[in-house]
Amino acid sequence: MNIVLIASRNLTALILLFLILGTPLNSSLAAEKNTTYAFQADGLACPFCAYGIEKQVLKLKGVVAVNTDVASGKVVITVRKGATLDEAQVDDAVKRAGFTMRAFQKE
Amino acid sequence: MVRAKIRRSRRGKIPLAAVVLIGTPLGIAPAVAAPQTFNTALPVAEDQFVARGQFLYRKIGDDPTPAGATVNVLSGIAAMGYGVTADLAVFGILPYLDKTLKTMTPDGQHIARGSSGIGDFQIFERYTVYRRDAPGRTFRIAPFVGVKMPTGDDNKQDNLGILPMPLQTGTGSWDPFGGFVMTYQTLNYQFDAQAAYKINTAANNFAFGDEARLDASIQYRLYPRALGNGTPGFFYGVIETNLVHQGKNKTNGASDPNSGGTAFFVSPGVQYVTKRWILEAIVQVPVVQDLNGTALKDDFILRAGFRVNF
Repeated sequence: MNIVLIASRNLTALILLFLILGTPLNSSLAAEKNTTYAFQADGLACPFCAYGIEKQVLKLKGVVAVNTDVASGKVVITVRKGATLDEAQVDDAVKRAGFTMRAFQKE
Repeated sequence: MVRAKIRRSRRGKIPLAAVVLIGTPLGIAPAVAAPQTFNTALPVAEDQFVARGQFLYRKIGDDPTPAGATVNVLSGIAAMGYGVTADLAVFGILPYLDKTLKTMTPDGQHIARGSSGIGDFQIFERYTVYRRDAPGRTFRIAPFVGVKMPTGDDNKQDNLGILPMPLQTGTGSWDPFGGFVMTYQTLNYQFDAQAAYKINTAANNFAFGDEARLDASIQYRLYPRALGNGTPGFFYGVIETNLVHQGKNKTNGASDPNSGGTAFFVSPGVQYVTKRWILEAIVQVPVVQDLNGTALKDDFILRAGFRVNF
């Protein structure tokens, strides 16, 4: 019985500690959130072609993910914290894939 | 590998006309997504590879002579495309062929002849000269030029002697070809058209007739009907057409009256396209075959295969 009581008190203490430290920890994580950019890929009209764009954009420094929405032609680029992309380098990557970039923006 | 089977005891002369098929309407079918029997103008990104494997079964017959000849061709075709730049792509195509002729000699023997092995390697480059991109659609024109190299065997023999050239796995000749292709692609459908010409040169005192062709393809997205988010797979229904004209073959400079002609194929097919791979199948059905003399006619050509991006 005592063992259960002690364990229960320790668990309560752990939860309190987590709640106290948790808020600033979460805020810190939010601050470290990756940056995303987006652009429109004109000329993209099938899934197989999307791979070429993603492969070229993924080669850019700091890029950790590229997601393409074929229906809208929107491509979302995720870069790691601290990394930045400029329009010219993304435009060049999309050209190397054989497509046309439009409406580049930071989200 | 060479085989010859004689079902009766006596040997006899085999009518060459019985094995002179119209051309080789295997088409130039590289790796990029789109038509299954010919080329496309869609891009291969710089430094991107596209690999393709295709199984082909071609049945030829309808011999108007008493020989009743039929030819079966089984082929595995490996193709690879590489994007040198966004506009310039290089393709290589290597077939493995297994050809079998079954016929009857003038003295009534049923025989089977054939060969199998690596065929002729084709290499060509395609350059996009015009591109117009818009949201969800693109229009491109790309000429291409290449050469078929004599990598296949062109002097195989069986116990009846050297095989006729159409039964060899190679032609022995260097054959240049070229043409242009245009593609209009939207999210719902895609249209491709190609014009091409191949100059068949002579080897072993034999030359296949030159080949001219006009091809067209329409692909329509059947599923999903409404596009959701992301990059879903597209299931296309496909109709392709091939108009192929081949000149007469020449042996020692003399034209073979039982070779060459014009054929028109209509080909229904399906294609499932994802971001990384494609599965596809198509049947080429000859609807018009205006061939010279007793040249054999195609019954059908079946193609099935896959493509992979990397």
